[in-house]
Amino acid sequence: MTALSRGGAPRSLGASLLDAVLAETLDPAYAQAAQARATGRVAERPRWRGRLLVALTMLIAGLLVSVTYDQAAAGAEGREKVREALIDDIDRESSASDDLGAQLQDLNARVTAARDEVLTHSAVGQQALDALARAEQGSGAVKVTGPGLLITVANADPTADADPVGGAAEEDPRGRVRDGDLQQVVNALWAAGAEAISINGQRLGPLTAIRFAGEAVLVDFKPVTNPYEISAIGDPDTLATRFVLNPDVQDLGFISKSFGLRFDYARRDELTLPAASTPELRIALPEAPAGAPATDPTPGG
Amino acid sequence: MIPILGLAAGVLLGLFFDPTVPLWLQPYLPIAVVAALDAVFGGFRARLDGIFDAKVFVISFVSNVVVAALIVFLGDQLGVGAQLSTAVVVVLGIRIFGNAAAIRRHVFRA
Repeated sequence: MTALSRGGAPRSLGASLLDAVLAETLDPAYAQAAQARATGRVAERPRWRGRLLVALTMLIAGLLVSVTYDQAAAGAEGREKVREALIDDIDRESSASDDLGAQLQDLNARVTAARDEVLTHSAVGQQALDALARAEQGSGAVKVTGPGLLITVANADPTADADPVGGAAEEDPRGRVRDGDLQQVVNALWAAGAEAISINGQRLGPLTAIRFAGEAVLVDFKPVTNPYEISAIGDPDTLATRFVLNPDVQDLGFISKSFGLRFDYARRDELTLPAASTPELRIALPEAPAGAPATDPTPGG
Repeated sequence: MIPILGLAAGVLLGLFFDPTVPLWLQPYLPIAVVAALDAVFGGFRARLDGIFDAKVFVISFVSNVVVAALIVFLGDQLGVGAQLSTAVVVVLGIRIFGNAAAIRRHVFRA
């Protein structure tokens, strides 16, 4: 009966808005209606009408609740479905791309085999084949194995004194490995006499770019992630000596020490580097018909 | 008993027929539900207090739902929709809590 007494007595004028919100949880209209009924100022309405109205209102309330629930559930379900569909799409397209890559490799192998077979028959062909082998070595078109240097560069670990409560710790952008760092390491390795280099299994060809896109480092337009392992093939001892004496590398070592980056190298007796992405065929000339003057074979461009 | 049957029938109707809500109305559904919940709890408490009145209940229900949706709509137009819905939820939430506590006192005598 608290509501009755509260509704009956006038509220103090000093009652603040918050007070009203906290104290007046029941609509005062109920108390007023009850009072009016008690004093007999209103005519009694038929009871069935009131009941029907109440039942109808409750029906609407139930409808509202279930419809809202449905909407919320459908929204979550829809998001999940879209996500799954997108993941399926990605999987399908990547496997299609892998298939095409495998096909390409197979066809390339067949072309190479056919070419080799034709060329081995003549002395000129043999010479051309040797030149081709050298060119392929240089352009990273073939898989190579040999001793070398393995350099590891990695982002700084999140600092221990980072706030553990505030969700994801803010990562210091200075503690991240950037494309420029990898470029410096790679350039230093070439300068030190490396014969072939790969980053996280991505072989560097003559046209391979190391770039930054958003948060990821791209090597040959394929993303590579932290930690970065750079394998270089060459004589390990000379490679290591010349590499550490490179002023760029010394700078990088100093920087990584002050910002907590990981930067170390190790000699390896055997490293295997995959072939770089298949070079595009940029120029092809039809075979000159016998008797016609031979066209200039130097590729334009 | 009849009101509870009505509520159950409404829930079942909504679940089975799955009516489509126009897109412009969808953002106001959750706040309307909270407002409806407030009116329903208020009505239940009034009934336990012995002062229930059908007319007051129906009017408070309709006006609660409409005003809550309207406030949020206005807030959306003014760019403070999220803050205003928070305000509505806080006020209605306090009232729901208060009424639930009164109902609890009636039912459990504690």
